[in-house]
Amino acid sequence: MTNVKALRQPLSLRLSSSIFLTFWCVVAAFPIFWITVMSVKLPIDAFNGNPLKVIFGPTTLAQGKGLSILDITIGLTILIITAKLATGWLIRMVGKFSPSGYLWAGWIIGSLTFGLLFVLVFFGLQPSLLNILNDISGILGINIIGFSTEHYSTVWFEKGFFNNFQNSLLVTTGVVTISLTFGTLAGYALSRSSSNLAFWILIIALIFRALPHSVLVTGYLPFFMNSAEILRPLLGDAAPTLYGLPWATIAVLVAINQPFTIWMLRSFFQNIPAELDEAAQVDGCSHFQAFRRVIMPVMWPGVITTGLFSFLLAYNDFLVTSLLLDVQNQTMVPAIARMFNMETTTTDQVVAVAAAVSIVAPLFFLVLFFQRQIVSGLTAGAVKG
Amino acid sequence: MKSKTFATFVGPSIFMMILFIALPLAGVLSQSFYLTQSVYEEVEVETCTPSFTGQICLTEITTLPMLDKEGKKVTKTTFVGLRNYRNVIEFPRVIAAFANKSWQQFMTIDFWKALRFTLTFTLLTLPLVLLFGLLIALTINNAAKSIRGPVIFISLLPMIITPVIGALSIRWLFIGDGILTSFLEWWLVRDIAMFAQAWTIELMMMLYRVWHVAPFAAIVFYAALQTVNQDSLESAIIDGASRWERLRYVIIPHLMPLIVFVTLIHLMDSYRVFEEVIGFSSQSYVISLQWLTYDFLSLDMLGNRSISRASASAMLTMIGIVILLIPVLRGVWMDYKGRRL
Amino acid sequence: MFLKKIATTIAVSLISTSVWAGCAFENTTEVKSLTAGFDAWKAVTGAMAECGNVSASLDQDFKDKQPDAFAANPSLYQIGGVSNGTMVPLLNAGTIRPLDDLVAKYGSHLKPSQLIKVNGKIMAIAMMVNNQHFMYRSDVLDEFRLAVPTTYDEVLAAAATIAKYDVVDYPLGGTYKAGWNLAEEFVNMYLGNGGSFFGEGNAPAINNATGIASLETMKDLTAYMDPEYLVSDSTYVQQQFQQGKIAMANLWASRAGAMDNAEESQVVGKVIMSSAPMGSVRASSTNWWDGIVLAKNMTDDEADNAFRVAMEGLDTEMVQANNDAAVWLIDGYVAGNAAAGAIATANNSAAPYPSNEPGMGAMHTALGNGIAAFLNGAKDAATTLADIEAAYVVSATESGLM
Repeated sequence: MTNVKALRQPLSLRLSSSIFLTFWCVVAAFPIFWITVMSVKLPIDAFNGNPLKVIFGPTTLAQGKGLSILDITIGLTILIITAKLATGWLIRMVGKFSPSGYLWAGWIIGSLTFGLLFVLVFFGLQPSLLNILNDISGILGINIIGFSTEHYSTVWFEKGFFNNFQNSLLVTTGVVTISLTFGTLAGYALSRSSSNLAFWILIIALIFRALPHSVLVTGYLPFFMNSAEILRPLLGDAAPTLYGLPWATIAVLVAINQPFTIWMLRSFFQNIPAELDEAAQVDGCSHFQAFRRVIMPVMWPGVITTGLFSFLLAYNDFLVTSLLLDVQNQTMVPAIARMFNMETTTTDQVVAVAAAVSIVAPLFFLVLFFQRQIVSGLTAGAVKG
Repeated sequence: MKSKTFATFVGPSIFMMILFIALPLAGVLSQSFYLTQSVYEEVEVETCTPSFTGQICLTEITTLPMLDKEGKKVTKTTFVGLRNYRNVIEFPRVIAAFANKSWQQFMTIDFWKALRFTLTFTLLTLPLVLLFGLLIALTINNAAKSIRGPVIFISLLPMIITPVIGALSIRWLFIGDGILTSFLEWWLVRDIAMFAQAWTIELMMMLYRVWHVAPFAAIVFYAALQTVNQDSLESAIIDGASRWERLRYVIIPHLMPLIVFVTLIHLMDSYRVFEEVIGFSSQSYVISLQWLTYDFLSLDMLGNRSISRASASAMLTMIGIVILLIPVLRGVWMDYKGRRL
Repeated sequence: MFLKKIATTIAVSLISTSVWAGCAFENTTEVKSLTAGFDAWKAVTGAMAECGNVSASLDQDFKDKQPDAFAANPSLYQIGGVSNGTMVPLLNAGTIRPLDDLVAKYGSHLKPSQLIKVNGKIMAIAMMVNNQHFMYRSDVLDEFRLAVPTTYDEVLAAAATIAKYDVVDYPLGGTYKAGWNLAEEFVNMYLGNGGSFFGEGNAPAINNATGIASLETMKDLTAYMDPEYLVSDSTYVQQQFQQGKIAMANLWASRAGAMDNAEESQVVGKVIMSSAPMGSVRASSTNWWDGIVLAKNMTDDEADNAFRVAMEGLDTEMVQANNDAAVWLIDGYVAGNAAAGAIATANNSAAPYPSNEPGMGAMHTALGNGIAAFLNGAKDAATTLADIEAAYVVSATESGLM
């Protein structure tokens, strides 16, 4: 940027640009903000037609459930500190303490520890501390906004959402790991081959990507339920009933996810010059060794970005998980749909809203942690179609 | 790369896709030419049901599916050629509608109604997504460095939110006297029911989709904006190009491959629009092609599925998406050939 | 507090694995059930779980899964929760077993009306009945000195009066959500007017004066409803009642209890239950029952055990603990105010839902997809019914019925 003057923008442009951006941010965040507000109110407030009543929750407040100025200040402070720590300190610490080559493990351990610490401090330490502080701080300690966490405790403790959370964790971990393993192998080979076969594999994968999922999934159901009987001639008594097995669902999700994964990873691999693996092969590596020792270490941005998209697909999936998993091992998204579809009372609906917020919350933190990777992954020029 | 190595590398991925996508798809294709029916027989049945006053027993002659010795339903499968397709497309009704020159009558035929909506939805949201994506990317790029991070963070939220929950939360905002409907009523000083006519529902579905997808476009474009060639920008400035001309002749061409990429993804995703139909329960006004297939596939109360018609409608959907993709696929082919030379 | 809660949850979950206090025996074989998820099923499966080793799936997709799950060998579930509608696919596929022996052995306390017999064999044990009946705000009707409407003409007249004043947003509510709900409303209306759905050889027979009259009544009613009636399901109508937005509606008996729930309702004590309005022949409603079936594909010992567990779920103790969760058929139920409407409707000889008609499944689907076009003015009544018949003929031909 040498010619700063010519690049300077007229006031009107800057103004309209920032107005548009503000408008967009409000539009983007409002629905999520609103369900969060609803989830901490009693049903009468939550479904009230007057927005101010929803925000301040007079009925909730009247029942003695509320937040004081002090609560809000301290809560917000903790949140902001957490965000700052997550985006700065945590990244540095992970970088510093992870043994080289095991950065991913450092990330997993780091984020898990961090998340756990946050939950302990925010939900464990903070409330008891604030109880004491509110009593002694006079006017600042008086509740001004209706706030009740009872729906959250209903969701997590009575409705067994912990169980669904664990299932989500299992399914997403499985899908991300397997998708990436298969996807990197295939993506690499496809990026290094210029045969017609490779081209047609890519085109067919593209068409598979466009398939309506309901067509495939409904076809699986009878087979999955009868698989023990169908597979018995092949596998004997060990033949499993695939319906309700998390790994069978993982396999389906991986397959559905493969087309996108290999396309994306292929374009990342294309940015890595082929000279690199040729050099490695000259040094006596086999193709696979070259791939593992030389190419993969420079591929992390691409793998993380692709992994995030796989994560989103598995975490957010509804159609596959609701049909192929039993209620006992259902993931969170079909579980919440179940809450809505049951003959619900209004209280149940607010509980379901709280569940919805609970599902979104991990995604929120995910973006917080990985925002840089998403943007820089895409900036690396990965996505070239 | 040797073909054996190539096979080892792509093997696992291809295996998964064949097992879980290609084989079911082949099944769907063959199903669409066959008809599987239960064999029914007439029997006399006595049924007793409870009521408050005691039991009501009814004896009547009814048709029931026949069971074989092992207790499975007896079925027969016949090759019917294109009949399933005809049942989905319903040509006689189309011709009748055209004879009456009645668009409204034409739009009461499920398949065409679904096709009309799916195409409108796809083709109207596409430019909106590209436009909003570009605007957001440009304004973020224009904003001070210090606020870019938080703004990108907020912008990503609609993209990552679980679609089921996203659609539901938009629905809560508008249904009945939802908060935004109340706001609109207050603003326009009139009674508004967003879910009472087709066009408002359609509009909400499209706005939801744009809200959900524009961030993806925005982030992709924003990432590409970081790599705009500063030299060509500067020479454009020296040539006296206006801001608009710089956008038109330097930035947009730089973004072109990504615009194609976003278009491709968006065409594929919006052509199979489905969550919105469920989330906004719009089926009484508008339905989409995937919803039609899904509806054929759902069990009716007596446990029957219209598998044959579902397969036919799925194949028609497939053909549609391939037609839509042909221009893009041609581009990929050219690009591919070019790279190989 | 949070930590304490975690601790108690863990403690409770540890204890509950070995609890069988509320059960007459300790169950050692695993029993799995697949049922719908509404309150009555929560109560029943909860009572079964007290025997230990019970895993209950309360699944919103139960009716999509049951036919395949019960057809598997061995069956994926031992106990299934069905209604008169959802039992038919299982019965037709021959995947549920006769229960006569087991009832003789363990079911002496069952009332005769609970035993669902097909061709003389007990195929299911009913636990509750349900129907749609009239609910109204007594304070609103009193204010305008309106008598409780007993026919749809009276309902329309009352609605017209209420609409003149600004006491409620809409005089009427209705479960007119396109699809299953909307079709059910038509079935109620059509049967109330004495219609029959099928002619010779399962041919459709709804395109007649009765069908047109039923559709016209439905359309007249929608004029007094929230214009978003095509997306309003039972929960939505229930909320409209609770928030004081509507004055009258035909709603499921299982929702009656919610009107007096002080935590949600702003109209506690003001909503009264009465019979569904009369059609020209009988009350415009259909009677449903819910109950349990046992899978055929399991050993007799497993069935024996599963039946004992099921009986623990359907006992008097459970009913006494959950009296208002449903209109129970089980011994020990005390019919309260909430059940008055359901009983009055049945006494006005409302028909049972015609689930024994083999074409009813396809007909219900065709109705659910087709009626909206008439209500929103895209077609006239006769064309709508003709198109529904055509859609039915296509699916009935496809499944081999015609």
